[in-house]
Amino acid sequence: MENSTVSKYTVSFGLALAVGSVADALIVIAKEKSRTVQAAMQRLTGSHWITHVVIVLILFVSFGFLFANSGGPGTRMRVNGLIKTIVAGMLAGVLIIVGFYFFAD
Amino acid sequence: MICFGRCPSKGQQQMNEIILLAHVSFGVVCILGAVWVFVDVLNAREGNLARIRWMSRAAAIFMWCSFLLGGYWYVVFYPGDKAMILKGPLPSAHKYFMETKEHLVIILLMLVTYLPVAASNNLAASKDARRLVLWVAGLIPLLGLMIEGHGAIIAMGVKMALLAKQI
Repeated sequence: MENSTVSKYTVSFGLALAVGSVADALIVIAKEKSRTVQAAMQRLTGSHWITHVVIVLILFVSFGFLFANSGGPGTRMRVNGLIKTIVAGMLAGVLIIVGFYFFAD
Repeated sequence: MICFGRCPSKGQQQMNEIILLAHVSFGVVCILGAVWVFVDVLNAREGNLARIRWMSRAAAIFMWCSFLLGGYWYVVFYPGDKAMILKGPLPSAHKYFMETKEHLVIILLMLVTYLPVAASNNLAASKDARRLVLWVAGLIPLLGLMIEGHGAIIAMGVKMALLAKQI
Protein backbone atom coordinates (compact mmCIF):
# COMPACT_ATOMS: atom_id res chain seq x y z
CA MET A 1 0.00 0.00 0.00
CA GLU A 2 1.30 3.51 -0.92
CA ASN A 3 1.86 6.09 1.81
CA SER A 4 3.10 9.64 1.55
CA THR A 5 5.21 10.04 4.65
CA VAL A 6 8.93 10.54 5.07
CA SER A 7 10.78 10.72 8.38
CA LYS A 8 11.14 14.04 10.19
CA TYR A 9 14.92 13.89 9.69
CA THR A 10 14.41 13.54 5.93
CA VAL A 11 12.49 16.83 5.98
CA SER A 12 14.73 18.61 8.49
CA PHE A 13 18.03 17.68 6.83
CA GLY A 14 16.55 18.49 3.40
CA LEU A 15 15.74 21.98 4.66
CA ALA A 16 19.20 22.18 6.28
CA LEU A 17 20.70 21.32 2.87
CA ALA A 18 18.88 24.29 1.31
CA VAL A 19 19.98 26.59 4.15
CA GLY A 20 23.56 25.30 3.98
CA SER A 21 23.75 25.85 0.21
CA VAL A 22 22.66 29.48 0.50
CA ALA A 23 24.91 30.03 3.54
CA ASP A 24 27.85 28.61 1.54
CA ALA A 25 27.26 31.20 -1.18
CA LEU A 26 26.79 34.08 1.27
CA ILE A 27 30.03 33.22 3.09
CA VAL A 28 31.80 33.29 -0.30
CA ILE A 29 30.61 36.87 -0.85
CA ALA A 30 31.43 37.91 2.73
CA LYS A 31 35.00 36.60 2.65
CA GLU A 32 35.76 37.78 -0.89
CA LYS A 33 34.40 41.27 -0.27
CA SER A 34 35.91 41.76 3.18
CA ARG A 35 39.61 41.14 3.75
CA THR A 36 38.92 41.32 7.51
CA VAL A 37 36.47 38.41 7.31
CA GLN A 38 38.86 36.39 5.17
CA ALA A 39 41.78 37.10 7.51
CA ALA A 40 39.68 36.07 10.53
CA MET A 41 38.67 32.84 8.77
CA GLN A 42 42.31 32.24 7.86
CA ARG A 43 43.38 32.67 11.49
CA LEU A 44 40.78 30.22 12.85
CA THR A 45 42.06 27.06 11.13
CA GLY A 46 45.06 28.21 9.08
CA SER A 47 43.02 28.15 5.83
CA HIS A 48 39.98 30.30 5.06
CA TRP A 49 38.61 27.45 2.93
CA ILE A 50 38.80 24.92 5.81
CA THR A 51 37.03 27.41 8.10
CA HIS A 52 34.42 27.93 5.37
CA VAL A 53 33.77 24.19 5.09
CA VAL A 54 33.58 23.76 8.88
CA ILE A 55 31.09 26.64 9.27
CA VAL A 56 28.80 25.33 6.50
CA LEU A 57 28.89 21.74 7.80
CA ILE A 58 28.14 22.90 11.37
CA LEU A 59 25.17 24.89 10.01
CA PHE A 60 23.98 21.84 8.02
CA VAL A 61 24.09 19.49 11.01
CA SER A 62 22.73 22.05 13.50
CA PHE A 63 19.79 23.07 11.32
CA GLY A 64 19.14 19.41 10.51
CA PHE A 65 18.55 18.61 14.18
CA LEU A 66 16.92 21.97 14.98
CA PHE A 67 14.26 21.64 12.26
CA ALA A 68 13.45 18.13 13.47
CA ASN A 69 12.36 19.39 16.91
CA SER A 70 8.69 19.07 17.72
CA GLY A 71 6.80 21.98 16.18
CA GLY A 72 9.60 22.61 13.67
CA PRO A 73 9.16 22.36 9.91
CA GLY A 74 10.47 18.78 10.00
CA THR A 75 7.22 17.67 11.53
CA ARG A 76 4.90 19.59 9.17
CA MET A 77 6.29 19.99 5.66
CA ARG A 78 5.05 17.98 2.68
CA VAL A 79 7.47 16.24 0.31
CA ASN A 80 6.51 18.41 -2.69
CA GLY A 81 7.41 21.55 -0.76
CA LEU A 82 10.59 19.91 0.50
CA ILE A 83 11.75 19.03 -3.04
CA LYS A 84 11.04 22.59 -4.23
CA THR A 85 12.93 24.04 -1.24
CA ILE A 86 15.96 21.78 -1.78
CA VAL A 87 16.14 22.54 -5.52
CA ALA A 88 15.59 26.28 -4.97
CA GLY A 89 18.20 26.46 -2.19
CA MET A 90 20.78 24.53 -4.20
CA LEU A 91 20.09 26.49 -7.37
CA ALA A 92 20.38 29.77 -5.46
CA GLY A 93 23.68 28.67 -3.90
CA VAL A 94 25.15 27.50 -7.21
CA LEU A 95 24.00 30.58 -9.15
CA ILE A 96 25.27 33.02 -6.50
CA ILE A 97 28.71 31.36 -6.45
CA VAL A 98 28.98 31.03 -10.24
CA GLY A 99 27.60 34.54 -10.81
CA PHE A 100 29.84 36.08 -8.16
CA TYR A 101 33.07 34.76 -9.64
CA PHE A 102 31.87 35.33 -13.22
CA PHE A 103 30.62 38.91 -12.88
CA ALA A 104 31.52 40.49 -9.57
CA ASP A 105 35.01 39.32 -8.71
CA MET B 1 61.19 19.19 -14.22
CA ILE B 2 59.77 22.69 -14.61
CA CYS B 3 58.63 24.33 -11.40
CA PHE B 4 57.94 27.77 -9.97
CA GLY B 5 59.76 28.58 -6.73
CA ARG B 6 61.03 25.54 -4.74
CA CYS B 7 60.86 22.27 -6.69
CA PRO B 8 59.08 19.39 -4.92
CA SER B 9 61.03 16.16 -4.31
CA LYS B 10 60.24 13.09 -6.42
CA GLY B 11 58.37 11.57 -3.47
CA GLN B 12 56.26 14.70 -3.02
CA GLN B 13 55.56 14.77 -6.75
CA GLN B 14 54.39 11.13 -6.68
CA MET B 15 52.23 11.73 -3.61
CA ASN B 16 50.70 14.77 -5.32
CA GLU B 17 49.73 12.66 -8.34
CA ILE B 18 48.45 9.69 -6.30
CA ILE B 19 46.22 11.96 -4.21
CA LEU B 20 44.88 13.74 -7.31
CA LEU B 21 44.16 10.44 -9.07
CA ALA B 22 42.36 9.04 -6.00
CA HIS B 23 40.43 12.32 -5.56
CA VAL B 24 39.09 12.22 -9.12
CA SER B 25 38.45 8.45 -9.02
CA PHE B 26 36.40 8.61 -5.81
CA GLY B 27 34.44 11.51 -7.33
CA VAL B 28 33.62 9.49 -10.44
CA VAL B 29 32.63 6.42 -8.38
CA CYS B 30 30.37 8.63 -6.24
CA ILE B 31 28.62 9.90 -9.39
CA LEU B 32 28.22 6.31 -10.65
CA GLY B 33 26.81 5.32 -7.24
CA ALA B 34 24.22 8.12 -7.45
CA VAL B 35 23.24 7.00 -10.98
CA TRP B 36 22.89 3.43 -9.65
CA VAL B 37 20.61 4.67 -6.86
CA PHE B 38 18.54 6.69 -9.37
CA VAL B 39 17.98 3.66 -11.63
CA ASP B 40 17.31 1.30 -8.70
CA VAL B 41 14.75 3.72 -7.21
CA LEU B 42 12.86 3.82 -10.52
CA ASN B 43 12.14 0.13 -9.82
CA ALA B 44 11.98 0.33 -6.03
CA ARG B 45 10.37 -2.65 -4.29
CA GLU B 46 10.92 -4.54 -1.05
CA GLY B 47 13.57 -6.72 -2.72
CA ASN B 48 15.99 -3.93 -3.65
CA LEU B 49 15.51 -1.52 -0.72
CA ALA B 50 18.58 -2.81 1.11
CA ARG B 51 20.71 -2.44 -2.04
CA ILE B 52 19.48 1.13 -2.57
CA ARG B 53 20.35 2.05 1.01
CA TRP B 54 23.80 0.45 0.84
CA MET B 55 24.55 2.09 -2.49
CA SER B 56 23.46 5.52 -1.22
CA ARG B 57 25.73 5.07 1.82
CA ALA B 58 28.57 3.99 -0.48
CA ALA B 59 28.09 7.09 -2.65
CA ALA B 60 28.30 9.27 0.49
CA ILE B 61 31.47 7.49 1.67
CA PHE B 62 33.09 7.85 -1.78
CA MET B 63 32.19 11.55 -1.79
CA TRP B 64 33.74 12.09 1.64
CA CYS B 65 36.90 10.24 0.54
CA SER B 66 37.11 12.39 -2.58
CA PHE B 67 36.44 15.56 -0.57
CA LEU B 68 39.03 14.83 2.14
CA LEU B 69 41.71 13.87 -0.38
CA GLY B 70 40.90 16.87 -2.58
CA GLY B 71 40.83 19.19 0.43
CA TYR B 72 44.21 17.92 1.66
CA TRP B 73 45.67 18.32 -1.84
CA TYR B 74 44.17 21.82 -2.19
CA VAL B 75 45.68 23.04 1.10
CA VAL B 76 49.07 21.30 0.79
CA PHE B 77 49.93 21.01 -2.92
CA TYR B 78 47.75 23.47 -4.83
CA PRO B 79 49.56 26.77 -3.95
CA GLY B 80 52.41 25.74 -6.30
CA ASP B 81 50.01 24.95 -9.15
CA LYS B 82 48.10 28.17 -8.45
CA ALA B 83 51.26 30.25 -8.89
CA MET B 84 51.91 28.43 -12.18
CA ILE B 85 48.34 28.92 -13.46
CA LEU B 86 48.31 32.63 -12.61
CA LYS B 87 51.55 33.20 -14.57
CA GLY B 88 50.33 31.06 -17.49
CA PRO B 89 48.05 31.78 -20.45
CA LEU B 90 44.86 30.56 -18.70
CA PRO B 91 44.66 32.38 -15.33
CA SER B 92 40.87 31.89 -15.29
CA ALA B 93 41.59 28.21 -14.53
CA HIS B 94 42.24 29.46 -11.00
CA LYS B 95 40.41 32.80 -10.84
CA TYR B 96 37.09 31.38 -11.99
CA PHE B 97 37.18 27.57 -12.19
CA MET B 98 39.06 26.68 -8.99
CA GLU B 99 37.39 29.42 -6.97
CA THR B 100 33.98 28.17 -8.12
CA LYS B 101 34.84 24.48 -7.72
CA GLU B 102 36.16 24.75 -4.16
CA HIS B 103 32.83 26.26 -3.02
CA LEU B 104 30.39 24.27 -5.17
CA VAL B 105 31.91 21.07 -3.82
CA ILE B 106 30.61 21.94 -0.35
CA ILE B 107 27.04 21.95 -1.71
CA LEU B 108 27.70 18.60 -3.43
CA LEU B 109 29.12 17.19 -0.19
CA MET B 110 25.94 18.10 1.72
CA LEU B 111 23.74 16.77 -1.10
CA VAL B 112 25.50 13.37 -1.21
CA THR B 113 25.55 13.19 2.61
CA TYR B 114 21.76 13.73 2.48
CA LEU B 115 21.22 10.87 -0.01
CA PRO B 116 21.32 8.04 2.61
CA VAL B 117 18.96 10.06 4.85
CA ALA B 118 16.45 10.39 2.00
CA ALA B 119 16.93 6.71 1.05
CA SER B 120 16.25 5.54 4.61
CA ASN B 121 12.46 5.89 4.09
CA ASN B 122 10.29 3.07 2.83
CA LEU B 123 10.72 3.69 -0.90
CA ALA B 124 8.67 0.66 -1.87
CA ALA B 125 5.61 2.03 -0.08
CA SER B 126 5.92 5.80 -0.54
CA LYS B 127 5.74 7.51 -3.93
CA ASP B 128 6.75 10.82 -2.33
CA ALA B 129 9.86 9.28 -0.79
CA ARG B 130 10.80 7.79 -4.20
CA ARG B 131 10.34 11.16 -5.89
CA LEU B 132 12.55 12.85 -3.28
CA VAL B 133 15.36 10.30 -3.72
CA LEU B 134 15.08 10.58 -7.52
CA TRP B 135 15.56 14.36 -7.28
CA VAL B 136 18.51 14.07 -4.89
CA ALA B 137 20.18 11.23 -6.82
CA GLY B 138 19.52 13.06 -10.11
CA LEU B 139 21.07 16.32 -8.93
CA ILE B 140 24.30 14.61 -7.82
CA PRO B 141 25.56 13.65 -11.33
CA LEU B 142 24.60 17.10 -12.68
CA LEU B 143 26.58 18.99 -10.06
CA GLY B 144 29.26 16.29 -9.90
CA LEU B 145 29.97 16.34 -13.64
CA MET B 146 30.07 20.15 -13.58
CA ILE B 147 32.69 19.99 -10.82
CA GLU B 148 34.66 17.23 -12.64
CA GLY B 149 34.68 19.50 -15.72
CA HIS B 150 36.03 22.37 -13.63
CA GLY B 151 38.79 20.06 -12.41
CA ALA B 152 39.71 19.18 -15.99
CA ILE B 153 40.01 22.87 -16.91
CA ILE B 154 42.20 23.52 -13.83
CA ALA B 155 44.51 20.67 -14.94
CA MET B 156 44.56 22.20 -18.42
CA GLY B 157 45.54 25.56 -16.87
CA VAL B 158 48.58 23.91 -15.25
CA LYS B 159 49.56 22.11 -18.48
CA MET B 160 49.25 25.30 -20.55
CA ALA B 161 51.38 27.19 -18.02
CA LEU B 162 54.06 24.48 -18.19
CA LEU B 163 54.02 24.47 -22.01
CA ALA B 164 54.22 28.27 -22.14
CA LYS B 165 57.23 28.17 -19.81
CA GLN B 166 58.99 25.57 -22.02
CA ILE B 167 58.42 27.67 -25.18
